[in-house]
Amino acid sequence: MSLRYLAKKLFTLAVTLYVTVSFNFLLFHVLPGNPVQLLARSGHFDPAARAQLVKLFGLDHPLIVQYFIYLKDMVHGNLGFSYVYRQPVTTVLGGAIGNTVLLVGTATLVTIVVGIWLGVVAASRAHSLSDATITVTSLGLWSMPDFFTGMILIFICGVWTHILPISGLVTPGLVTGTWGHLVDVARHLILPALTLTLVNAAEFSLISRNTLVDVMVEDYMLTARAKGLSRRRIIWRHALRNATLPIVTATALYVGMILGGAIQVETVFSWPGMGLLIYNSVVQRDYPVLEAAFLIFAIAVIATNFISDLLYQVLDPRVRRA
Amino acid sequence: MSDAGGPTGARLPDEEMTRDAEFTSRARRGVLRSVWHDPMGRSGLIMLFIVLFVIMIGPLIFPFDSQSFGTSAASILQPPSRAHWMGTTELGQDVFRQFLVGGRISLYVGLSATLIAIVLGAGLGLVSGYYAGWRDTMLMRVTDFFLVLPTLPLIIVLAALFGQSILVTSLVIGLTSWPQTARIIRSQVLSLRERPLIQRVRSLGAGDLRIMRKHILPNVAPLIFANLALVLSGAVLAQAALAFLGLGDPVQVSWGTTLHNAFNSGAMSEGAWWYVLTPGVGIVVMVLAFSLVGHSLDRVLNPMLRGER
Amino acid sequence: MSLLDIEDVSVDYRIGSGSLRAVDHVSLRVEQGEALGIVGESGCGKTSLGLAVPMLLPANASISSGSISLGGRELVGMSERELNQLRWTEVAFVFQGAMNALNPVQRVDRQILEAITAHDSHADREVAGARVLELLELVGIAAARAKSYPHEFSGGMRQRAMIAMALACRPSLLIADEPTTALDVISQAQILALLDSLRRSEGLSLMMISHDLSAIKRVCDRIVVMYAGVVVESGTTEEVLGRRGRPAAAQHPYTKALIAAHPDLGGARSLAQGLSGHPPDLSVPITGCRFADRCDSAMEICREQAPASLSVSPGHVAACHLARRLVP
Repeated sequence: MSLRYLAKKLFTLAVTLYVTVSFNFLLFHVLPGNPVQLLARSGHFDPAARAQLVKLFGLDHPLIVQYFIYLKDMVHGNLGFSYVYRQPVTTVLGGAIGNTVLLVGTATLVTIVVGIWLGVVAASRAHSLSDATITVTSLGLWSMPDFFTGMILIFICGVWTHILPISGLVTPGLVTGTWGHLVDVARHLILPALTLTLVNAAEFSLISRNTLVDVMVEDYMLTARAKGLSRRRIIWRHALRNATLPIVTATALYVGMILGGAIQVETVFSWPGMGLLIYNSVVQRDYPVLEAAFLIFAIAVIATNFISDLLYQVLDPRVRRA
Repeated sequence: MSDAGGPTGARLPDEEMTRDAEFTSRARRGVLRSVWHDPMGRSGLIMLFIVLFVIMIGPLIFPFDSQSFGTSAASILQPPSRAHWMGTTELGQDVFRQFLVGGRISLYVGLSATLIAIVLGAGLGLVSGYYAGWRDTMLMRVTDFFLVLPTLPLIIVLAALFGQSILVTSLVIGLTSWPQTARIIRSQVLSLRERPLIQRVRSLGAGDLRIMRKHILPNVAPLIFANLALVLSGAVLAQAALAFLGLGDPVQVSWGTTLHNAFNSGAMSEGAWWYVLTPGVGIVVMVLAFSLVGHSLDRVLNPMLRGER
Repeated sequence: MSLLDIEDVSVDYRIGSGSLRAVDHVSLRVEQGEALGIVGESGCGKTSLGLAVPMLLPANASISSGSISLGGRELVGMSERELNQLRWTEVAFVFQGAMNALNPVQRVDRQILEAITAHDSHADREVAGARVLELLELVGIAAARAKSYPHEFSGGMRQRAMIAMALACRPSLLIADEPTTALDVISQAQILALLDSLRRSEGLSLMMISHDLSAIKRVCDRIVVMYAGVVVESGTTEEVLGRRGRPAAAQHPYTKALIAAHPDLGGARSLAQGLSGHPPDLSVPITGCRFADRCDSAMEICREQAPASLSVSPGHVAACHLARRLVP
């Protein structure tokens, strides 16, 4: 990877981040539905409190000044003050981010492994019965809203059979050692992670399958067969290695989808992460928290895309030296 | 087998012209039939027909009165029975009748959001692909920015800021669902404009608008159509998620709203599966129908557009 | 005994609900150390025939009749495991120059090494590595370039690397499908010279598939002309195409047309310029001679009855109603 390329990519990243931050300002501070107006309209405040709030948020300044104050706050990592928790937003988010990373990370990992494996199975028997079964099942799972899948799992594993905990991060009041705590968290993690995985692995397997099917008809695949390589080696070494590139790109686009799913799943399973925070801040009209959470989601997706771009450079010898 | 043999020599523009015309008419005639002959497409069309029939005719036969609450403890959260085919809600309302009405809202929001997204996406894709150059670069930068933004969180934020009427919901989903369409249409237009026919018509002095309307639009129309079905399934899902998170129209009860009520009324711990399953299955069937048709259309159209047999 | 004996082989493709016979009861032989050229327009079945030998036909194609034996072993009906042992060690393939036949994300030396280790799991890595460099040198690629990726090579170099890989397991038969197509004229000449010298130095038998008569004339001892899935003429290259002052003695009007399209067999690259019309649709049964519709000398009998193969001189066969025994 050339330094020039890296520099160019870093510049694009910086511009994208700046645009995202500004877009966020536009959403929450400029457009007609700005939070203070909304709060006032919803009758939360008397005029005196409203005036105080206007001053607190610097809304008495002209927009352009507000914009620079906003940018300055961003640079200093000051994301505002939560109305509901009466704490800095960064403190409120702090605990939640780790939980979401745990949930989304687990789900993404399993999604990639299971999705690719199913994709390989379907593609290596393309147009057969098992291929059709995987494709139709995937479409069916994809058609299920994440929250609905979660609710069904709650019925099956929590209401009817009680085999797994269906709410929260830990069992309230449970006193155990470190090991017991880890096991407890892991048990709570299963259902939300499974929900996210079911929906996303479905589509991921479709993408892997289609990419692999495209690769399979490439000329070098015929060469690999002509060389007398084993079927396993042909698929895992030659086909999958070439299919990795589009799959990496797809994975990056996926993170946005998985985060969207996390909001629903965390809500359904009361998993104390960013998604639940977003849901609660919507319900309680806690706009500073909503604003910051959205910004962090957007930055996470942008960062993932950046990383996947770099990864592409490393993985594809054709662009590496271009 | 692409041997370099066979008759060579430049193909006459007129031949190219008839080929284009042939493609368009063949596409129009054959597409629906091909989808019907595809098992995936056929099951999608049948499901779609059933869904439409149920939600269009159903409420006429079983009207839903949102004011008719259950009055006694014996009428709330009741399992399916003769009187209430799909049981009752925590307010003693009939789940089945609510289901019939709710489907209309889900479909209505889905359709109007899709219309906005497709017009926006196809329009930007057309302009971007046709003019290329700086206009393309600029539009694609914007498109890529919106493509990267996490869609559902953005929709949630917008709905939280702008309100919860079905109009706002449709607008919000529509305004965030266009980038994919724009990308797809643009790349198709990019390849179309290099075709000899378009080049020739342009050299004859035809205006941009005329070329777009007469020669480009008819050729991308099938692609728009295929994309429409896929955007539609995404829009129905987005609407459901929004309503489930409490950002749906509180008056116009959609399937997502019913699920929101079921979840928040504690119906789950009461084991009221009918309350959850009925609207949920409705969403799944509707989304599945659209995506089956969309995938099938895509499969039928893609090789055609690439000019393969 | 011939090295390769193709006997009465037909290849059918399933297309939609119907089927298409790309190769129709073809028989031919390649002797030990011989170079056989197969020529014909695109779609005449020559590529399918080549792919059929190591059983590499696409999934929708099948061999519906006949037998293929290589070194006395029957390949039709052989298990995939047995075939994999045979592939590359007995019969190697060089694909079209235009094809991206080398894996784009694997270094060239690795791809060649893979061919060696796949067939000899006990191979010493150093010995095998040295063999890779030796092979590359044999085809004129410096050891310093061995660790390149395919896209870093020119078309001619890629094709030479492909040939080096084909020689990796010392096969007895090399099938080259359009080895020079899409290469520039100089690379074409180099590749042909390379194939010609290798087959002598390595004791290879060669089956070269091409639409380019001059390429075949340059390398091959014998020629088989295919049209619409059948063999219409075969004989020594010298007799059919003419060489060293002897005029071409081709008997079939199709072969004659091919030759006519190459006024000087050394230069012109495109085939069939002198030939109008298209080959027949193979998905419907054909009565009579398949070439009749495009043949200037077609007679009534040509549309009613398929011509039988006639031995016009020792080793020279033509399938045409007009063919006559040559007077020596």
